[in-house]
Amino acid sequence: MKKALFVFLILQTVGYSWPMTTQKSRAEDLDVLSRALPGQIGVWTAEPGDRVYDSETIFRYIDGAGEVYRAYNMRSCLSRRYTSPHAPAIVLDIFDMGSSEDAFGVFTHDQDGRAVDVGQGGLFRPGWLSFWKGRFFVSIYAEEETETARGAVSELAKVLASLIKDQGSKPGLLLKLPPEGLQSRSIRYLHHHTLLNYHFYLADENILNLGQQTDAVLAVYQRSGKRAHLLLVSYPNEDKAAEAHRSLLRYYLPEAQSREAVLLEDGKWSATGFKNTFLTVVLEADTRPLAESLLREVLETLS
Amino acid sequence: MESGKKVITRRDFIRVGSCLTMGSLVGLPLIGSVSAKKSEKSRVVLIRDKNVLDSRGQLSESVLQNMLDTAVTALMDTQDPVSAWRQLVTPADIVGIKTNVWHYLPTPESLEVAISSRLLDAGVKKENISASDRGVREDPVFKRSTALINVRPMRTHHWSGLGTLLKNYIMFVPHPWMYHGNSCEKLGAIWQLPHVAGKTRLNILVMLTPLFHGVGPHHFSSRYVWPYSGLIVSRDPVAADATGARIIQAKRNLFFGAEKPISPPALHIGAASTRFGLGNSRPDQIQLIRLGWEEDLLI
Repeated sequence: MKKALFVFLILQTVGYSWPMTTQKSRAEDLDVLSRALPGQIGVWTAEPGDRVYDSETIFRYIDGAGEVYRAYNMRSCLSRRYTSPHAPAIVLDIFDMGSSEDAFGVFTHDQDGRAVDVGQGGLFRPGWLSFWKGRFFVSIYAEEETETARGAVSELAKVLASLIKDQGSKPGLLLKLPPEGLQSRSIRYLHHHTLLNYHFYLADENILNLGQQTDAVLAVYQRSGKRAHLLLVSYPNEDKAAEAHRSLLRYYLPEAQSREAVLLEDGKWSATGFKNTFLTVVLEADTRPLAESLLREVLETLS
Repeated sequence: MESGKKVITRRDFIRVGSCLTMGSLVGLPLIGSVSAKKSEKSRVVLIRDKNVLDSRGQLSESVLQNMLDTAVTALMDTQDPVSAWRQLVTPADIVGIKTNVWHYLPTPESLEVAISSRLLDAGVKKENISASDRGVREDPVFKRSTALINVRPMRTHHWSGLGTLLKNYIMFVPHPWMYHGNSCEKLGAIWQLPHVAGKTRLNILVMLTPLFHGVGPHHFSSRYVWPYSGLIVSRDPVAADATGARIIQAKRNLFFGAEKPISPPALHIGAASTRFGLGNSRPDQIQLIRLGWEEDLLI
């Protein structure tokens, strides 16, 4: 038992997820899902011929937005349209992201909406439901929002979630976030600096050297009415973490000489540090104590 | 109550500074060839007519033709639209009309017809006019083209921040994804390719029902379009895009009740100006001519 716990802690320390999370069963591929999907949902009938796209051909389907899915290592996408002579179409897109971590990540790209109990996390906005389960991210979009369409979208989501048998785990990096005051709906898991800029603009250039080899989590904290963003990045090795830290100091926090917080131009505070293969930065905290306590706490989890 | 005073933060500084830095490091060309043009203000015409769309969102072709005519006449400072178009093209020109076929918000076919009609009036031969989007690299007229008319709707975009006139030329390259780096910042480079450079005679940014926010893989929801009922017309694509971007930004702030920056930032507009020298992006470098319906103008 102790040995198992030790292995778990080691894996967490070096940034790997629990072994179950990296399991990438290929039993449920898109072909299987395609065959099992219902041909009819309410008054909507599946158009013949599902379309499947890979990480290159995805641009033909969703234009440059395909880059978002590529940035999460998308493997393939199955698209099916349900049409009806009496109602606008419902578009189903199933993305095989290759891992549950990236399925979760692309799900966190858009966290607006009402939480719904489908898959391992689902959100509903007018006309659009998304959820993730296992290594799949699913989007169901009604081209026009009606009560009937809403019911059909929900029904289709539940059917599909039941067809995906495997559960997946969230990225292990999330376990390193201090729990107090963490706004769970604010969590974004990402690799790419363009996506960081989408959620929190830091700089035009990639000053943190983010990329496919890095895992990052961005989250909002709220403590005693005070607010801060926390960014935690895992690099492939210590040298790359140190290099990114130097770059951050050079371009963003040249005043930072230690782990003390720095007062920014808008009256907010920022603090940064790195440890082992991790870099963390508290961005625009309302107060100095919040910036410094968050930094201290996250660095403690990295030891 | 907040004073509304804008604080310049280091994030703003990095944003501005990086463009200058990149321009000097990458050594990309251009500024010299356009410096004279950049010293002048760019004329941009924003025209609106609330009757261009009816209550069901149906487009009035006659109103749209009239909007185009009025805008181009004002832009070229002529007495009538045909004279204006004769300043833009000659009868010898072979003209490609670069449209946009994006399923949810395409260039209206009636606008393509209106443009074609005026090209014919200006003396361009019918067989020397073609409208296309994804087929521009194979289209025989585009392959021989001596002039381009660039026309597309403005919308927010997952990766580039905004779908713009500048971005509309991405179909002129065989591998569009090669220009997707850093939020499509280098789109301006496409405008310097030999088969594109110097050919654009007019840019028309369609602001009839712009998309100011997007959701999901398809980045579209009918909740986030509104009947702005406008066209932005300019010879300077950067100035037209920058003007459209200000309107989109204003609409986002209004709709969401707080400052809601376009995400990711549309870096390619600023870079097209500072790095590729394609035009002017700063408001103080743009002469904006407002025509028509003024309600909820947002700029």
